[in-house]
Parts: sequence; structure tokens; C-alpha cells
Amino acid sequence: MAAPPTETRRDLDSAATSHRGDRIFNRGITAAAFTALLVLAGIAIFLGIAAVEAITTQGWSFLFTTEWKVDQGDEPVAGIWGMLYGSVLLAVIGLVIAVPVSLLLSIFIVFLAPRRLARMMTNVIDLMAAIPSIILGLWAFYLLTPPAEQWQFLLNKYLGWIPIFQNESGNFNGTPFIAGFVLGFMMIPIITSVSREVLGRTPPELINAAEALGCSLWTMLRHVALPYGRGGIVGGIMLGLGRALGETIAIFFVLKLVYDINWYKIIESEGGSVATLIVATFGEVSGPYELNLLLAAGFFLFVGTLAVNVIANLIVQKTGRSER
Amino acid sequence: MTQVLDREQIAEWSGQQPQRPWTKKPARLQAWIAVAALLPSALVALIFTYTEIPGPILLVAVFFPLQLLAAGIAAIATKGRQGAADSVIIVLSVGATLFSFIILTSVLGSLIVRGIGALWGEDGFRSSFLFQNNVYINPSTPLEYGGLGHAVIGTVLIVLIASLIAVPIGIATAIYITEVRGRAVPYVRFFVQAMSGIPSIVAGLFILTVLIVSGAMNQSAFAGGLAYAILMLPTVARTAEEVLRLIPEELRTGALALGSTRARVVLRVVIPAAKTGVITAIILGVARVIGETAPLLLTSLKSDQTILNPLGNPIAALPTYIFDNVALPYPGAVTRAWGAALVLMILVLILFTLARILGRDRLNRFR
Repeated sequence: MAAPPTETRRDLDSAATSHRGDRIFNRGITAAAFTALLVLAGIAIFLGIAAVEAITTQGWSFLFTTEWKVDQGDEPVAGIWGMLYGSVLLAVIGLVIAVPVSLLLSIFIVFLAPRRLARMMTNVIDLMAAIPSIILGLWAFYLLTPPAEQWQFLLNKYLGWIPIFQNESGNFNGTPFIAGFVLGFMMIPIITSVSREVLGRTPPELINAAEALGCSLWTMLRHVALPYGRGGIVGGIMLGLGRALGETIAIFFVLKLVYDINWYKIIESEGGSVATLIVATFGEVSGPYELNLLLAAGFFLFVGTLAVNVIANLIVQKTGRSER
Repeated sequence: MTQVLDREQIAEWSGQQPQRPWTKKPARLQAWIAVAALLPSALVALIFTYTEIPGPILLVAVFFPLQLLAAGIAAIATKGRQGAADSVIIVLSVGATLFSFIILTSVLGSLIVRGIGALWGEDGFRSSFLFQNNVYINPSTPLEYGGLGHAVIGTVLIVLIASLIAVPIGIATAIYITEVRGRAVPYVRFFVQAMSGIPSIVAGLFILTVLIVSGAMNQSAFAGGLAYAILMLPTVARTAEEVLRLIPEELRTGALALGSTRARVVLRVVIPAAKTGVITAIILGVARVIGETAPLLLTSLKSDQTILNPLGNPIAALPTYIFDNVALPYPGAVTRAWGAALVLMILVLILFTLARILGRDRLNRFR
């Protein structure tokens, strides 16, 4: 007598199944898994509609001019170029501070610190990432601004011939420098945790080989560890950049928003930031049209940060770092 | 014919003594290190006491270059040019570490120094600050009266609503990636990653257009919770995914071999095995959103009363309470803001520590 027919072998790698309960379960889970797509699409559509309306009423000058006269007069004029540029300027100032500090921090943690100190520092840096941005804003307003005004005054006095240290108003609060400094501090834990992990994964054989060949620490870093981790470090920097572009509250109290473009004077008391513009204007919004303009500004902020973030994640992923 | 090189020969050619990293540091090197470490600080301390140059500037403009120079000279004297680059790296990286730690200490220290005034006065510990609300309180009311009780309740409500939405969806997303393993796994992960980059203000704007501008509801705890959920979902999903990945494959195949269905494997075997990890994911998600201010400014506004109804009326929360009080030109209000910031930071610290403790447990079990 022939053996009873056995069920075809089940594929253990996927959940493909003939069981009815399982099919319902799978379908439910799959539906939930697409929530992320749904939210992204929702944001793109709802804010996108506002953006289209803003572009049709304001023309492309909405993106490329700098003006905000919406509640006065009969012909509202709005342009966010100064704010867009301001966001980028602040992020660049932040990067100038955060990138060297984070790289050195991660080198210290991975290659120099004793193991216990390294573990403690990793925890402390994760704690830095957990500080709510409003607390940093509070700190920046009350504790950073007073001494920073003095630093900037001295910078202007002795290095004022360099264009970026020009200041005509004699007023040193609310400058892009202070806001950028805060953003830099917010980026440090993000960049450090990525580059620490990437550098920590340099194959020990390579490090040992370099040391056996007589490399000093610096030569080893230059020719082995840094080239090995370059991709991951760049990705980490871009993750930090994405965070900085979208940050609102930490710089709300310390940046003087001016609807006028400030190209390079980083210690002049005027700056711009799309995210901060939205919060600052929302409180006294004059009507649905102005609100719509804010939504449009939000759309461009969303597109910008999304692009930076996606590229960053692709780079980080390519270097084989586990998602985190 | 092979030529045998002796150590002295090599040393002569390379101009260096051969390094022996396994031996103790020679006395000469130790002396150089001591001098290089002490001299700059001593010099700067002298300058600081006898001139009026402010401390931070002295530190950056005088001490730091001086320390670099001293370390460089010491390195060249003992180890040659190669050593100089190393010494520069070491001084710079210790400097970077100190820089970050000074700022972190300044942030946390200022919270305690300035925030304690709201929680502690001549009359001792003011539980009123933790439990009372803001009704009948104006910015110049003495600190004995009024507090952030209403804001704490608001934050709890908003976070609870966000968790009720984001936790099941986030965990389901993780289950899809690690258990169901459908064809769309790479896309789902991509979307979750992209979602984690959404700026908090944009999440607020989205909920504002969909729910509030459209007239579906007022600014409320529910609207705020939805905005928080958008920010929380990616954190929960990614952490849970990592945790589920740690569950040994044998548990799954074993359960399948015993004849359980896929759903049972996930619900009765995998999730219970990963319980602490899943809780960690939830805690990290809460910690991610609890201090977010920007979305609440758009979606839940503020209130002075204690509100328990999550639908229909504006509600206060800790971050917005801070935001509103900082903006007021009264020292009392600013102290309240610092006090609230201290309370918020303590909450974050508790969550952070909990996640760490649970996370350690999780690693020990599966590695």
C-alpha cells in the first residue's frame, strides 16, 4: 500500500501558507506594515495641494524671493527663499562644529579610551540624543546667548575684516552662529553614534596588520580605519543634516527671524529657518490663505529633509550598517 | 645571500629607536608627558589670574593651541615625527570629548540649578507645583500657587493615545519584516526609514490639515496624539525589528514542527520570547516623542485647566507649558518653565534608564 500523500514541503523562509487563519493574520500584518507608506503619501498629497496652490497664486517667486506681506494690503506677497537658505546656512554652521567634534569623539571612543570609559561615553552620548529640543532651546536662550554675545563681539572686533564676521548692527543676539551652535550640539550624538559603530567595525586583522607594519595611530587611521568607514561616516553626517534642517524649537528662542536674506554674515542678528517660520507665523496667522502658505512651506521642508534622509540611509545601508 | 640585519643597524637607518609597545613607558617619555600635560595648564592658570581675558576665550585661543604645541614637541622629542601626528590626534580628541561633556553638564546643571526654584522654596518641597493646575494663576502669581499638574496629565493623555496607535502598528511592521517576510520587505523598511526623517513640525502640519483645517475636530489631545504617533511609529518599528531578529530561528521552526500555525508562532512564541525587547521598543518610542513641542503647538494648543477629555478641546502638555512660560516677561513664569523642563528631563531620564536596563537583559539572554 502506498504511503499517504504528504503535504508539500512548507517553505520556512516565507509565511506563504494555506491555513485560513494564517492568511487573515498575514493580510492584517501586511496592511499595517504599509502605514508608513500611507503616512508619507498623505503628507505629500495634503501638503502638496497647499504647495500647488501657493505656486499658482504666488508664482515660482514663492520659492525664490524673500518677502512676507500677507496680512497687510490687498495683494499678498510671500516668498520663502530667505528661510530656505537660512535653514541650510544654520545646518552648515552646525556641521562645521559637529563633524570634527563627532569624528574625534568616535576616534577617542573606539581607539583611545579604555573599555569601561568607552562604554560609559557611549551611554552619555545616547543620553545627549535624548535631550528634548525645547530644553536645549531654553539652555541656548539663557545660558549660551550671554557668553556667545561676548565671543561674537570679540570675533567681530579682531576678525571683522573677514566677511563672515561682519556685523553692522552691533547687536549680537539672535545670530545664525548661536542657532547653528545649538544645531551642532544636536547633531553630535547622531553623527558620533554612526561613525563610532562604523569605525568599531574596522576588521581587527587590518588594524593589527597596520600596527605590525609599524603604523602609528594617525597613519593607521588615515590609511585603514577612515577609508574603511568613509561611507558610513558620510551617511551619519547626512542623517545629522536631516535632523538639523527640520529642527524647530531648539532654535526658535535664539534666532531672530528676518524676512531678508542674510548670505554669509553669521554673527549678524538676522537669520532664517523654514521650520521656525512656520511656528512663529502660525501663532498670528491672518487667515486661511496665510495658513496655506505655511503648509506649502512645510511641503518644501518635507521634500528637502526627505531627500537628505533617503540619501543618507542609502549610503549607510550600502556600507552594511544595521538599521538604527 | 641573505643579509641579517641587526637592531642597531635598522635604528641607524630609520633614525629611530625600534618601538617595543609591550614594555613599560621609559622614564624619559613619562617625564616628557608630565611636562607637556602640566606646563600649558599652569601657564594658562597664571594668565587667567593676572589678566582679565574671559575663561572660555582663554581656553580656546590660548590653552588649546599651547597644549597642542606642547604635546607635539614632547612627541617629536621622544618618538619622532610620527609621534607628533598621534599626539595631535590625542589632544584634539580629548578636547572634543571635554567640549561635549562641558556642554552636556551645562545643560543638565542649569536645569537643576534653575528648575529647583519651582519645586523647592522656603516652605520646603512644593508638591503643589506637581499637582495643581494653572487656573487662577497669572504670570506674577507667587510660585507657591499653581503648577503643571494639568500639563502632566495632558502629556500622559497625548502619549497614551500616540502609543495606542503607534505601538500596534509599529510592532506589526516589525513582524511583517521579520516573521511574515513578504515580498515587500525592502520597500517597507525603506518607507519606515524615510518616515523616521519626517521633521516634527511637518507631522504637526499634516495632522493640522487633515483633522483641524478640514473641520473634522478641534485642536485636542487626540490630534496631538496622532501627530506624536507619526513620530513614534518608526522608532518602535525599527527597535522592535532589531529585537525580533535576535530571536533564534530554532524557536520558530520548532513551533512550526509541533504543528502550530504561523499566527500562533508569532503571537505565542516569538512575541513572548521577545517581551522585554518589545517593551524596550515602546519605551524608546515614548522617550522619542515626550519632549516634542512643535507638533503640539499646532495640534493641541494650550489650556490652563485640567482636561481629561481627549476630544474636542485644546489641552496643555509639558513641552507647550514650557514654551508658553518662557515667552512671558516675568521671572516667576520663567522659573516655572525651568521647573517644568526639569520635570520633563527627569521623565526622559527615567525612560532612558529603563530602556537601558531592559536592553541589557535582552542582550544577555540571546547572545
